[in-house]
Amino acid sequence: MFDGLVAFGHSLTTFLDPLSIGIVLLSSLVGVIIGALPGLTATMGIALMTTLTIKLPSNQALLVLVCTYVGAIYGGSRSAILLNIPGTPASAAACLDGHALAKQGLAGRAMGIATSGSVMGTMIGMFFLALFTPILGDLALNFGAFEFFWLAVFGVVIAGTLTGDDPLKGWIAGVIGILCATVGQEGIYAYERFSFDNRDLAGGFNLVPALVGAFGFAELLMAARERPPPVAVDRFDSVIPRLADLLAHWKTIVRSGVIGTFMGILPGVGEDIAAWSSYAAAKRASKVPETFGKGSIDGLMAAETGDNACVPGAMIPVLTLGIPGSAPAAVLMAAMLIHGVRPGPMIMIEAPSFVYDVVAMMFFASLGILFYGLTLTKVLIKVLMVPKSIIVPIIFVLCVVGSFAIASRLFDVWVMLGFGVLGYVLRRLDYPVAPLVLGMVLGDLMEKGLRRGLVLSDGSLVPFLTRPICAALWITIVIVVLLKFPAVRAIFRRRSAAAS
Amino acid sequence: MTSYTVHPRSDLRSGFFWVALGALIVLSSWRMDRLENQGATLYSAPGLWPGIVGLILALMGGALVWRSRRRVRTSNAKAIVAADDGPQLVPRMHFWLAATMFFVYAVLLVGRGLPFWFGTWLFVTAYVWVFRRAQRAPDVVVPQWRDALFALTCAVATATVVPFVFERLFYVRLP
Repeated sequence: MFDGLVAFGHSLTTFLDPLSIGIVLLSSLVGVIIGALPGLTATMGIALMTTLTIKLPSNQALLVLVCTYVGAIYGGSRSAILLNIPGTPASAAACLDGHALAKQGLAGRAMGIATSGSVMGTMIGMFFLALFTPILGDLALNFGAFEFFWLAVFGVVIAGTLTGDDPLKGWIAGVIGILCATVGQEGIYAYERFSFDNRDLAGGFNLVPALVGAFGFAELLMAARERPPPVAVDRFDSVIPRLADLLAHWKTIVRSGVIGTFMGILPGVGEDIAAWSSYAAAKRASKVPETFGKGSIDGLMAAETGDNACVPGAMIPVLTLGIPGSAPAAVLMAAMLIHGVRPGPMIMIEAPSFVYDVVAMMFFASLGILFYGLTLTKVLIKVLMVPKSIIVPIIFVLCVVGSFAIASRLFDVWVMLGFGVLGYVLRRLDYPVAPLVLGMVLGDLMEKGLRRGLVLSDGSLVPFLTRPICAALWITIVIVVLLKFPAVRAIFRRRSAAAS
Repeated sequence: MTSYTVHPRSDLRSGFFWVALGALIVLSSWRMDRLENQGATLYSAPGLWPGIVGLILALMGGALVWRSRRRVRTSNAKAIVAADDGPQLVPRMHFWLAATMFFVYAVLLVGRGLPFWFGTWLFVTAYVWVFRRAQRAPDVVVPQWRDALFALTCAVATATVVPFVFERLFYVRLP
């Protein structure tokens, strides 16, 4: 416990130099602007910043990415409150009460609540990140090929189940992602699959250009299809968070922080689900649930605390298992690998201080959003007024440059275009894109787990089913999948009706 | 009548596509080298995993087809799309124009010998000029030269700032 505190203190001091503070301020600002602009997501922002910071030392580059991540998730609340348009999917829940408060002339207070909720959420998540990572890291050392296989399957199944309205389409998107991960040389014999004798394809798809395409270019295509909504912002009151709001809603803050962190830990679930789950829990616990959706401070506080608590939560499985808790965390994990950091069970042995460095980065990022929460309002409104006809081509130039920058090959630009079109088509057909990403990230782990496990067990599936962690995982997966079948749900409904 | 966000017929078509793609992948996986000369067994053969995944895709596609056929029948093929509160769409030609500009820039103007700044300048000028005029309300009249000047300014700024930030500040190579 005290070792952790000492390590955290040491990590804090390593970032207390003018350059790091400058990085925190600049990258939090970039994050807040990306988050506030509807259509630009945290995933896309982190992917673009990954390419920009590729030549920086790893600690500085990751500080940029963590601040961008936290800033983007927070920034989405600004457009949700002021325009009733969520800047990122994570802020959709904040629209309900945030914009209702704005319509009552309390936009400033709503932004203050969003700021305090986001900062508190990040702090709570950060606490659990510091607390759970070493414990889970120890547990993960017992994981072998069999457990990693099921864990990866669990990630894709959960992401497919929770990130869209239709689990079947979510699972299909996940399977497409897994198939994309099979392109190129496989991990055991370096045999080329689906490469069609193309040298570039033999290396497989680079994750960052694929994500820039699926989240960046696809969003631009969607934006090109839709007429931009009229932007009008009325005058607003003070944005300074009130201590009274924090004290009056402390239970909501703690509850939403815990829920948000837990949602972050679940592989692939993400900030939007964290916000909605926290919002729903706050509504259930409220004595005045009828005020939710009509300007409830409790509702806004819950949504904003939940989505920001999810950010450190999503880093827990990244650091301990090498499995991302959300789509932006998947990009962050890819960035760690690019910078020579190997997240996974060995991290507490190979680089224990890195975990506390990430906690310290989260801490500075939360200070960054607090700073911009108090100061940036008027500037941000000006940014929100910039027409899409100007933003879209600039973002596309960044998508092209960002895809090229990773390996200096034009092939990656084409990968970006291809995944952009795929992401656009999937979105149009109502398939969620987050499971596709999870499938791409976890496909390799899944395959290695299965093939190594089968070789170790001489072709027997018994260890896959009987080892304790494996059993817990596959039973959970089966229950999650079965519960999505209408016939099974109907049986449960009938039983519960009979029991009551 | 049940309403869905996507027409069941679209789901039906996409379901058939996944079935076909899954079957194709299973077939190509079956035809992959088993690498027995390198000591590979059935369990470590390179085609095993894509074959399993292709099969799962085909099965899921089949489930989507089955569900969509039922929905097409129950919805009387008229469903759907409760899009009253959805975004307003631009004319289809605007979308295709934007998509063409994206592809022309990424495939033809970048990495084909043209200086990066020049390709970017061309693309941003064209995009801003065309869509600034297209997205303006019909009753607002602005002289063409003002839009052109504005587009040129945006393009010069982008073509200057992006290379400066990437190449000079962060030492990242540009196409």
